[in-house]
Amino acid sequence: MNSPSKNSLQTSFELKTVLETSRMLVESRDPEFIINSLLLIIMGRLLVPKAALFFFDPAEGRYCLKKSKGFDGLNENQLYDIITDVDQQNDSYFTVDSAHPDFPQIVLEPNNSIFVNLRTSNNHHGFLLLAPKATKTPYRKDELEFVEALCIISTSALVNSQLFNELKNTYRNLDRRIHELNTLFDLSKEFNFLVDREKIARIFKFALLGQLFIRTFFLIYKTADSHTLLASSGLTGKPSDKQIKRIFDAIENEVVIPDSNLIEKHPWISKNKIAAFISVSIQNEKVAVIGVGERANKIPFGENDYNFLKSLSNLAVISIQKTYFLDDRIDKERMEEELSIAKSIQEGLLPDPLPRIEGIDLAARTISSREVGGDYFDIAKTPDGNTIFSIADVTGKGVPAALLMANLQSMLHVLLPVDITLAEATERINSIIFKNTPSDKFITFFWAKYVSTHKLLRYVNAGHNPPLLLRDQNDEFELLSQGGLLLGAMESIMPYVETDIQLNPNDILVCHTDGVEEAMDEETDEEYGVERLKLCIMKNRHKTSQEILEAIVEDVRHYSGNKLGDDLTLLILKASDSF
Amino acid sequence: MKNFKIDHRTNNGFEVLDLHGELDAHTASELEDAIKNLISHKKSNIIVNFRRLEYIASAGLGVFMAYIEDVRSIGGDIKLTNMNDKVFNVFDLLGFPTLYDILDDEESAISKFLKEMS
Repeated sequence: MNSPSKNSLQTSFELKTVLETSRMLVESRDPEFIINSLLLIIMGRLLVPKAALFFFDPAEGRYCLKKSKGFDGLNENQLYDIITDVDQQNDSYFTVDSAHPDFPQIVLEPNNSIFVNLRTSNNHHGFLLLAPKATKTPYRKDELEFVEALCIISTSALVNSQLFNELKNTYRNLDRRIHELNTLFDLSKEFNFLVDREKIARIFKFALLGQLFIRTFFLIYKTADSHTLLASSGLTGKPSDKQIKRIFDAIENEVVIPDSNLIEKHPWISKNKIAAFISVSIQNEKVAVIGVGERANKIPFGENDYNFLKSLSNLAVISIQKTYFLDDRIDKERMEEELSIAKSIQEGLLPDPLPRIEGIDLAARTISSREVGGDYFDIAKTPDGNTIFSIADVTGKGVPAALLMANLQSMLHVLLPVDITLAEATERINSIIFKNTPSDKFITFFWAKYVSTHKLLRYVNAGHNPPLLLRDQNDEFELLSQGGLLLGAMESIMPYVETDIQLNPNDILVCHTDGVEEAMDEETDEEYGVERLKLCIMKNRHKTSQEILEAIVEDVRHYSGNKLGDDLTLLILKASDSF
Repeated sequence: MKNFKIDHRTNNGFEVLDLHGELDAHTASELEDAIKNLISHKKSNIIVNFRRLEYIASAGLGVFMAYIEDVRSIGGDIKLTNMNDKVFNVFDLLGFPTLYDILDDEESAISKFLKEMS
């Protein structure tokens, strides 16, 4: 029957099949197609009713069923034991009766069914299981050779297609990484030019939505006094300020994936399907929390996604912080500019130059520890041709004190032309200040009217440090302390008292504010005090008012190591020799 | 051709946005304004034609993510057409074909809209 001619005809036919198949398989990149073709060609060519293909799983040491045709009792993607001896991985084929005893009894004639090795030149990849032929005749040698040849070609094709797909995946992942890097790069450039934090937050939002393929997003930024929702997308209703703060505080790590515990405490998280939180800290201080929803195609976030999320969040938050710093700087500059204007306004409230008063050698100066302060002095002519001297110290420092000082100045000038006594005027000023200022704001105030015809000084002291009067030829100081309560403390109950003193040639009157006596020697922690002031006046009593003033300022500066903690004002009157 | 530009027209009663140039972080807000404007006028059957778009950054894609739900919740859709390979690759890379209809041309988008309405 097996005439040589028929044999050679069959061989040449099989050779053609092998060739055509190999071309078709090698060109294919689809493992499904390759497996299917291998099974169908062999089943068709050799009339095999049942065939199956197993892949070796090296990690498990077992075989995974990839495809089965005709077998009952085999499940695709399930693992099976096939070999009893690793040497079987080197055999071209072996019959099913020498397979592992646990392999299901699915063929009737195990000694006529075979496992054909799926191998490449150096690796074993699996087995092709063939049931007995439909003709019930055993597999012939040339048939087995044909099967073996097809298996080798198909296995190579399968391995190639796997490599190809892995490579394709690698390229795609690489492409994604490149795209992420481009996004980071683009945004860092863009953020550099932006000073509008809302815009930064919006661009950040869109980049995350696009890159991560998500719909839900929010960004909470913490400033010194509040938590702000700077941008959001896809939230079910705007969260309240309280919710914003609660969420911000709940996120303690750089990346937080909400667990049941967190969700239970904050139902808002599951309501908005937040899948991950990122917190951004700058110099160990948490400044922002970002939340993102799940991906629209439900693919969970991986390590790369979290890294991207962290990098982009850091970039955006640093840029946002920069805008706040810029605001602060602009605010500070504006404040400084305003203060410098306030300073010149305040300086304008003081008499400059000092008016000349017949018979009196006059000097006055105020030194503010800040741009503006609460010290005040004034010298003004009254309608009757006399002169008013005043000195005052508003509690506190800086702008609030300066405002009150300006207020006092205007009251004083309004009252000057009014024909009332010093005591009455003091009372009016007190009640206005008491009504219009907070109860912790006071003014200590001393003023005196110099009546030149009588060389008389009529004064009211409303709680101010008593001016020191040093009479000529006398070493004892008189203190001008009569008057009444300081201004603004309470409604005038007791009337203020006026006191008259007579001035004689070379009498010296030194009016001063707290800043003089309270100047501090930091080493001894001791105040300059009134005794040192008196000593300094005594030492310089023969000099002019201006020289005395400068001597005192110099002495105080020297004493305090040039650190004046408070505003300092001096007003000095010296009755002239020719008086 | 770096300048980004959006033209608005209608085709058979459907809103068409023609994108030109480069859609990046800087220009994304212009697209946002255009889409917001359509939504506010209750025009929700939107075709975005990418024929003249040369480049798209993630922020540009993000705009579509931010408004797709709004548009669909009022019964409309955003369909994307005429992308060049480079632009399509970005959409494909980030998973957009699972959520959006990306079609060859406006006619395909219109017939898809009409099929969905019937």
